[in-house]
Amino acid sequence: MANTRLGMVIDTKRCIGCHTCAMACKVENNLPDKNWWNRVLTIGGEGMDTPEGVWPNLAMSYITLACQHCENPACVKACPVGATYKREEDGVVIQDYDKCIGCRMCLAACPYTGVRVFNWEEPKHQVGFPIGDANVPAHQKHTVEKCTLCAHRLARGEEPACIEACPVRARHFGDFNDPESEVSQLLLKRGHFQLLPEKETNPSVYFLS
Amino acid sequence: MSTQETAAAKAAPAKTASAAGGGKVLLAVTGAIALAGIGLWIYQMSRGLVVTDMRNLSSWGLYITMFMFFVGLSAGGLIIATVPRVFGLKGFKSVSKIAVYLSICCTVLAAAFVVIDLGHPERLWHLIAYANFTSPLMWDIVVITTYLIVSIVYLRATLKAEKGQTSERALKVLSTVALVTAILVHSVTAWIFGLQIGRAFWNTALLAPMFISSALVSGLALTLIVVLILQKTGYLKADPESNSRMAWLLGIFVLVDLFLLFCELLTAGYPLGGQEFNVVASMLTGAFAPMFWTEVGGGILAAVLLLNKKTQASAGLVALAASIAILGIFFKRFQLLLGGFEFSNIDYWSITTGPAKWSDAVLNYVPTLLEWGIVIGVVALGAFMLTLGLNKLALKPAE
Repeated sequence: MANTRLGMVIDTKRCIGCHTCAMACKVENNLPDKNWWNRVLTIGGEGMDTPEGVWPNLAMSYITLACQHCENPACVKACPVGATYKREEDGVVIQDYDKCIGCRMCLAACPYTGVRVFNWEEPKHQVGFPIGDANVPAHQKHTVEKCTLCAHRLARGEEPACIEACPVRARHFGDFNDPESEVSQLLLKRGHFQLLPEKETNPSVYFLS
Repeated sequence: MSTQETAAAKAAPAKTASAAGGGKVLLAVTGAIALAGIGLWIYQMSRGLVVTDMRNLSSWGLYITMFMFFVGLSAGGLIIATVPRVFGLKGFKSVSKIAVYLSICCTVLAAAFVVIDLGHPERLWHLIAYANFTSPLMWDIVVITTYLIVSIVYLRATLKAEKGQTSERALKVLSTVALVTAILVHSVTAWIFGLQIGRAFWNTALLAPMFISSALVSGLALTLIVVLILQKTGYLKADPESNSRMAWLLGIFVLVDLFLLFCELLTAGYPLGGQEFNVVASMLTGAFAPMFWTEVGGGILAAVLLLNKKTQASAGLVALAASIAILGIFFKRFQLLLGGFEFSNIDYWSITTGPAKWSDAVLNYVPTLLEWGIVIGVVALGAFMLTLGLNKLALKPAE
């Protein structure tokens, strides 16, 4: 337990489905058109922002979905060249764009639908010039990319952009291996779940319920 | 010398010359189509894989299907050439060299499809430099390379043995190595898919045995078709006895393949719920039903034609049955690949780069014309290699 295990806790009771975290991620990481590393999913009816059930018994909530930074990642095993790897020091699962051969084995291996994106063409940007943080690695055609937990910000001791941007403070960031950390304390106090626990990947993203 | 005799003497070489001429025409046509295919691939690389219908939620398509399909097709030749030698059974001597050469061609095409699907083929050397041996894709690359080398060495040894330069013992050892590699190649190809926990359609222990049985069906069927055509054109001597034994064997393989498919469907479908059940339902009555029932119905029809003594004797009907069997296996491969992407583990509405929620199992992926064009180009390359080999290598049975 010497190493840190960085991750997020997302409060589904607080989340209002405003997509600010998704937008902050897109801008911070200079994501090409059509690419989203973090998305808001409606748990509800047939369509975005629709509730399930019949009035007056309606229910609707949100989860946000990005790379789960699993402790036992399926993608890392599957990559033939080690382009996707888990950092020993903090458990962040990350991509080396220069190594990636574009085989998309990791897209097949990851059970968390839609968290990885492949650049199917030369990355294009709506505004015509790169935005976001200068330390974000350049996006490459025909490589796979996904949430890096804002590795460039972690390197400066900052939190990921989505954490900072959340207007209702539904997102928390920290080290699960540190029992005193905010995220560990939240898991002690509140009911919580991980996504697809039956896949035994042990995600470092928890949702408070 | 009478004029009649002179005419006959002239006619004989003329006939060979026209056959060689036919070969040249075939080489030119298939070569041109293959070149056009390469042109399309260059276009795909420059525009990006966006010109295919593959997207983030259906990230593999026709190319990886063809990869599986051609790995399978390569099985037949090597197996019918090696199994009799390894186990000391009565073999198919007259066709074994052609069968092995056919295997080699199919393996090359399978490898080509992987490269075509790759985003960065210029980084292929990363596979050696940064090899990660926990990846089933890495295993496959090692095994397929070995398989290709072993097949080539085996063919060379067989050709040398005919000149008395290789001992029967050495051939037997090589056959054993080749057979083990062949079994491995199909298993490892299955594990690329079968070991993925995120894909209910793929994640079954039965996948490797099924890949072997499907490979036997499609591989033997292709060998049989090629042999029948070569007998028709006079390249090979007609050998009804060997043909009907091959047909019988193919019929058995088809039945084994159908049995394994049934085992899988029953186990997955019996709970009447869960993702595995959705997969079965989509095959029996959903989006995959047309492919599935063609495969099953065609399989049964092919088995009947191949196992019946009367129909077994008809080259036409055997070729028809073999074609139906190959088509069935192609459908099986295609629905397996598509099925892996058809069901989403996290099935809620959101913004995505494609449909977010598809519980209705509507097919997301339809190959574009460009993808079909590249596939036709690669298949033409195979026909080119086959024609070249038949013309240049001593593949005819030794007298």
